[in-house]
Amino acid sequence: MVGIVLVSHSRALARAAVALAAEMAAGARIEIAAGLDETTLGTDATAIVDALAAADDGDGVVVLMDLGSAVLSAELALELIDDDLRSRVVLCPAPLVEGLVAAAVTAASGADRAEVAREASDGLLGKLSQLEPSVSVSPEKDAMGTVTVANPHGLHARPAARLVTEARRLDAGLEVRNRTTGSAWVPATSLSRVATLGALRGHEIEVRASGPRAQAAVDEIVAVAARKFDETPDVPHPGGEPFATGGRPASAGIGIGPAWRRASTPPDVPDTPSRGADVEWPRVVGAVAAVRREIDKIWEGNPEASIFDAHLLLLDDAELLGEVRRRIDGGQAAPQAFQGAAARIAAAFDTLDDPYLRGRGDDVHAVSDQVLRAMLGLSGAETAGDGILVAADLTPAEAATLDPARVKGVLLAFGSPTSHGAIMARTRGIPMVVGAGPAVLSVSPGITVAFDGGTGEFVIAPAEPVLAAFRERAAGLAERGRQAAARAHRPAVTADGVAIAVAANVGSLADARAAADNGADLAGLVRTEFLFLDRDAAPGPDEQVATYLELAEALGGRRLTLRTLDVGGDKPLRYAPAAHEQNPFLGVRGLRHSLAHPALFADQLLAIARVARETPVSVMFPMVSSVAEVVAARRMLDDAVAKAGPAEDLRVGIMIEVPAAALKAAAFTPYVDFVSVGTNDLTQYTLAAERGNAALTADGLDPAVLQLVGLVCARAGVPVAVCGELAADEAAVRLLTALGVRELSVAPPAVPLVKDAVRATHMNLTGSLAQRATGLADAAAVRALLKSVSLAG
Amino acid sequence: MADTVDTTALLAWVREFARLIEEHRDLLTELDSAIGDADHGVNLHRGMSAVVAALAEDTPDRPAELFKRTGMTLVSTVGGASGPLYGTAFLRMSAAAGDAETLDGADVAKILRAALDGVVARGKAQAGDKTMYDALAPAVAGLEEAVGNGQPLSHALGIAVRAAEQGREATIPMVARKGRASYLGERSAGHPDPGATSVTLLVVAAAAALA
Repeated sequence: MVGIVLVSHSRALARAAVALAAEMAAGARIEIAAGLDETTLGTDATAIVDALAAADDGDGVVVLMDLGSAVLSAELALELIDDDLRSRVVLCPAPLVEGLVAAAVTAASGADRAEVAREASDGLLGKLSQLEPSVSVSPEKDAMGTVTVANPHGLHARPAARLVTEARRLDAGLEVRNRTTGSAWVPATSLSRVATLGALRGHEIEVRASGPRAQAAVDEIVAVAARKFDETPDVPHPGGEPFATGGRPASAGIGIGPAWRRASTPPDVPDTPSRGADVEWPRVVGAVAAVRREIDKIWEGNPEASIFDAHLLLLDDAELLGEVRRRIDGGQAAPQAFQGAAARIAAAFDTLDDPYLRGRGDDVHAVSDQVLRAMLGLSGAETAGDGILVAADLTPAEAATLDPARVKGVLLAFGSPTSHGAIMARTRGIPMVVGAGPAVLSVSPGITVAFDGGTGEFVIAPAEPVLAAFRERAAGLAERGRQAAARAHRPAVTADGVAIAVAANVGSLADARAAADNGADLAGLVRTEFLFLDRDAAPGPDEQVATYLELAEALGGRRLTLRTLDVGGDKPLRYAPAAHEQNPFLGVRGLRHSLAHPALFADQLLAIARVARETPVSVMFPMVSSVAEVVAARRMLDDAVAKAGPAEDLRVGIMIEVPAAALKAAAFTPYVDFVSVGTNDLTQYTLAAERGNAALTADGLDPAVLQLVGLVCARAGVPVAVCGELAADEAAVRLLTALGVRELSVAPPAVPLVKDAVRATHMNLTGSLAQRATGLADAAAVRALLKSVSLAG
Repeated sequence: MADTVDTTALLAWVREFARLIEEHRDLLTELDSAIGDADHGVNLHRGMSAVVAALAEDTPDRPAELFKRTGMTLVSTVGGASGPLYGTAFLRMSAAAGDAETLDGADVAKILRAALDGVVARGKAQAGDKTMYDALAPAVAGLEEAVGNGQPLSHALGIAVRAAEQGREATIPMVARKGRASYLGERSAGHPDPGATSVTLLVVAAAAALA
């Protein structure tokens, strides 16, 4: 008699199933291999081997399995038994309970193992015909429907994306064709294929589906089409009616000029040969994932960003990725394969008659360029243009390449005022408004745009009187700027005689020159990363010395505060690879990274020690959280000084960016000459809020951050500087000075106005203000308090 | 080439893998709870603890014997799909190791290739299915290439670790097509695959113990 082996994760389940089968066929020989023990769920290949041996009497064995590892373990068991027994074993895909009952009855009747397995597999039929009669009668029931496109621009990106999303969800083999043009059928699940239908307003589209849910799927698509694919009413006509509304202020200043959009230039694809599909395909997967993250990032806090749906769908378009895979398997390297496949799909758009749809090829090009850049590690799109840059969002790299002489301002549909891109815009003195809404993306190039980066107001195509008002505001700001600039080279002293050093944050030679031009008293933060990033080997001590001396010269001999390398998992160096981290911002970065790469660190400290013999230098360690780190760093600095020779005026400080360091400020006193509070990171770490996330508030004026700053000033016992964004916030200046801060380090263009803000401060009036502010509920309340006091005063 | 490893070193590898699995047990389970049935960490930990106990009782004298005992122990103690998958991998490594008493870089690449082939044969996984294959395949390819270029084993394993880690990261956006995670469809995207994560630990353990 054919034996039966039941493989299950659960011993209890197997025993119960056997009891059920025994009621129908008491004579069947059933062995179980189930569970690791009485209660532990799992399957065991060696137990299956034993069960097979016990169940076989020469007529063979049919094996029934539940799911997952049961199947894998059974297959493995087949490898572990001898050829003779293996030839008599059948692994049967029947459902466990129904299959077992059918198999037991059939085996007990004396049937051979093939018949037992067949009967077991048919064990589901009874239930199927009971519950879904149509399935067993006609499993391939097709359905068909016709819809008329009512969308003004036809089945373009967004409606097409909606159709594809629905089709993928319905999973009923949906296909569509343009009946009006007589096109071929294309899968409704591929955005690139759907877009090639060239479906304009009024065209008739046929929809067909197969499978048991065919009719329901077609009905669903017809319903979605009737709702115009859920396309929201059109945004203001490009170049049409003027409209004015409010975004969020991100970089102060008035921007007036013609709108321009970034033209993305395709990146150069190097002619490197393939290193094999196993290497090249993961590059594609990784780059696609990176671009998806970029787009997801814009999505965060911006539910209106659905215009990127089309881009997201292209990123997992089977048509596109399938062709990339074929090209890679055919021996192409990842960049060539992706570029080639995207170009072919984009070309399909170029043959279409309708200019609007032809333009959809741009989506493919944009996504393709973005993926290629991610793959090749290149930075963003072309950023040269005149007037007001209108864009969805701005990366720090893009902001860094804007030419302030030509770009009069930046208007972003999305983005956050605390993002790195916004910080960069402020550093470079480029006015910016963020969160203006997706409607601004349809502004035609050349249309005049005016905005106030200090308030967030913006106007598209303003009428002359409105424009004149903006011009007047700009003139007022310019005048204020001129007056401040005239006084910029004088020290900043409060109205009651307290001197506050106003320093500049420097990340390049140009910044150092701008710092000197704007009257900075010193460089309060030199971000040395600019020397280290985007290269294949670390700069040696000689190169570093030369660069630091160049900075000192540009600053006219003012003190340089050199912050040691501040990198980590979020900003990896190619030559000092960081282990992957679940959360790089809570990982090995800043001083932790330097201590983990002692050779790199020693080189930088040696360079700093040598420069300190020539010009006034302070060295500052970033991202400190414990005293032990500072002691270790100072020990290495001592070694560097021993090598370079003593420097008379080398001062040593730490950055306080971690709440733990702020709370322990007194513990650092014996080891430092000064501390500098990095309010950007301190705000993020205190509020657990990523500053680039538009959905969160990461405002340094939060009372919790202010309390920490106050604590540092009270306990550090050494001079306290602030080198974050907060220092440049004119409203915050008197609050920080009242808390005890004696140096403010800001972007070079902000130096004159911050000096003026210091001069307007009365220390003896602001003490109680600081006390009130730190007791408030949130940053908004602090800002309101500052505003009311400033109006009163 | 003086660059060889003996049974003692390979035993250290297996033990290091067990240690890493213990250390990451909760992480693996957490990853599996996001996309599967939350048993990967517990199951593998149970299996590798049993392996360490079995090997402590009686030290094997050849690599093939070490891998065979490891594989057979995993097969009967893990319980979940990782049992037959890792079991097959180690059994194939045992077969590929043959009679050798020591393994050089090319041998290590060879046995890991055999392990990968075994995983493919057992799990029928392909690239992009969001499985351990997505981390192990690039690791093996990287190891073979580095060894083929005459790199010392320690360096080659470092390359394999990075390739495995990249492969593991690449599973994050993938939609699972194998195992219980595949029932989740799109919801399986956004987390690294637990199998890719644990097999990366196997490569990390090799780099730590064999370098």
